[in-house]
Amino acid sequence: MSSQHPLPNTQQPSDVYGGDEVSALVLDAGYCHTRAGFAGEDVPKSVLPSFYGSLKTGDGDAATYRDIFGDECLIPRADFEVKNYMSRAESIVEDWDAATKMWEHVLIKRLQPEKPTPPSKNGLNDPVPDGEGDVAMDDVEDQEKPLAESPLLMTEAPWNTGKAREKVIEIAMESWGCPAFWLSRTPVLAAFAAGKASALVIDVGGANTSVTAIHDGMVLKRSIQKSPVGGLWLSGQIRSMWDNNDPKIDIVPSYMVENKTPVDAGAPAQAKLRKFPYEISQSFRTYEEERLVTEFKESVVEVWRGPGRYSNPGNEDIVRSQPGRVFEMPNGSNQMWREQRFRVSEGMWDETAALPAAESITKAQTIPELIKAAVNAVDVDLRPNLLGNIVITGGTSLLNGFGDRLNNELMAMYPGMKIKIHAPGLTTERRFSAWLGGSILASLGTFHQMWISRKEYEENGAGIVEKRCK
Amino acid sequence: MSQSGATVSQECITAFNDLKLAKKYKYIVFKLSDDNREIVVEEASADKDWEAFREKLVNATTKSRSGAVGKGPRYAVYDFEYSLASGEGSRNKITFIAWSPDEANVMAKMVYASSKEALKRSLNGIATELQANDNDDVEYDTVLKVVSKGLAG
Ligand SMILES: Nc1ncnc2c1ncn2[C@@H]1O[C@H](COP(=O)(O)OP(=O)(O)O)[C@@H](O)[C@H]1O
Ligand SMILES: [Mg+2]
Repeated sequence: MSSQHPLPNTQQPSDVYGGDEVSALVLDAGYCHTRAGFAGEDVPKSVLPSFYGSLKTGDGDAATYRDIFGDECLIPRADFEVKNYMSRAESIVEDWDAATKMWEHVLIKRLQPEKPTPPSKNGLNDPVPDGEGDVAMDDVEDQEKPLAESPLLMTEAPWNTGKAREKVIEIAMESWGCPAFWLSRTPVLAAFAAGKASALVIDVGGANTSVTAIHDGMVLKRSIQKSPVGGLWLSGQIRSMWDNNDPKIDIVPSYMVENKTPVDAGAPAQAKLRKFPYEISQSFRTYEEERLVTEFKESVVEVWRGPGRYSNPGNEDIVRSQPGRVFEMPNGSNQMWREQRFRVSEGMWDETAALPAAESITKAQTIPELIKAAVNAVDVDLRPNLLGNIVITGGTSLLNGFGDRLNNELMAMYPGMKIKIHAPGLTTERRFSAWLGGSILASLGTFHQMWISRKEYEENGAGIVEKRCK
Repeated sequence: MSQSGATVSQECITAFNDLKLAKKYKYIVFKLSDDNREIVVEEASADKDWEAFREKLVNATTKSRSGAVGKGPRYAVYDFEYSLASGEGSRNKITFIAWSPDEANVMAKMVYASSKEALKRSLNGIATELQANDNDDVEYDTVLKVVSKGLAG
């Protein structure tokens, strides 16, 4: 059923998803993406960048700033900066004001169909229109809480703070008027969606990669490991590679290109660039560059599958003998990528292979070491079951060859142990596994008794979330 | 309670006690009711043939939301018996199996994984637990190795 075109009340099925009259909302916020949709659906209806815009009006002391949300707002503008409401280091909320507005944009503007006006108020049934009635009614509607009918399930990183958990239920209950609320941890949802109550979940996301052991549906706190070696770090590696390429590759995002003429591989671009009558901020440009870099990751970058490191003798010769991949920049410049497309991702596994970049990493931050540390932090008896139930999730895990390399690294680290990786073949499932898990959970008829109800919240305060969402 | 809110029907506990105390059964297969509200007994059997039991699991089905029938998850309890390699006699271990084939639809996988705790907690006296996701995981030798921690002969 399309939410954009609500059926008239009489036709609306009252039992859409497993007994709920109003389907719950599910929100999964990451550093790169904010995913939101209706419980019971397979994919989030709205996947927005977690970036928003800040517009400046006036100058100096008189300057005022206005935040704007939604990807359609992220276009070249004067006096415009692009910001993120999450912390780059932690992938948890940093700016609560912006987070609230962003979530309102997604949950209310994007997901709430215009409420059909009840027949008693739409004027059609009024025998005599009575003057200013409409105005007064609008006021009442404005005061209504926007999500008064929608239970909300949100996800959180397993290292989220107690304060942040309380803050989030306060927003849902106080500002939006949600009738019910729940918080679930992303790796637990990803494990469940893979059919596992116990698993070692490896989330290779935007700002972070994390490894978390789940046992009987609970996060083993001491196992949690995270590092900056995620999607953005890889982007930095790609930038470094482009910088040091011969000829150096200029990153010219598509908004800058007015038109282009095709050129031969390696030849200088022949493009007309757009001119803007105002200055484009570095933050906007970086945001646009990042989108281009992601395209490069999707179509060119590959992970050396192993066994062993890419730097082992002979490997590069093998790669050189294989066909490369051509990548064309928005300005038309293009070149073939062969061994570099493997070299650039190798630092995730082997810190000595990392290209020189602003963010250098340590051995302990590489993926194999994160796994080792997570596994070492749990009881010896639980380790075999964890290694036999590895779940991979997150956008960066979609890199070609990622699963094979991970498997080879694990076999080398744990000889004789049974290693089994669960990597959903469907890329949507991999990108949205936490959201999807939440979507199913919140759509279950039985989940009614799990929700923290408004009443419970009012009686206990925000601290209830610590007690109930373990 | 489980994280899904699903509950365990009394018949699960009764059947389990019959297996544990009265030795009336060799295994019990549990499933979620069609409305996903309650865990119920699908079958309790005295058949000692592991292969027959394994077939039950690998052939188990479930309906997706759209009504398509496909492979489905189950829970099972099996009164596993093995003799020790050291010659010190035999051992009994009541083994809990969370069966969730990778091919099952994601809704079923989610419901079973998030409801498992409820059942496990209701059954007192489980010695070992294993999570099985493909046909190999429920081969007799694989299970024997896990259950006996490699001490079977
Ligand atoms: N096909 C792909 N191959 C490699 N990286 C990808 C692919 N698709 C997306 N990414 C990267 O995944 C990251 C976003 O992952 P995601 O799991 O959505 O992050 P988060 O949950 O932190 O928002 C970005 O850095 C993006 O460049
Ligand atoms: Mg994420």
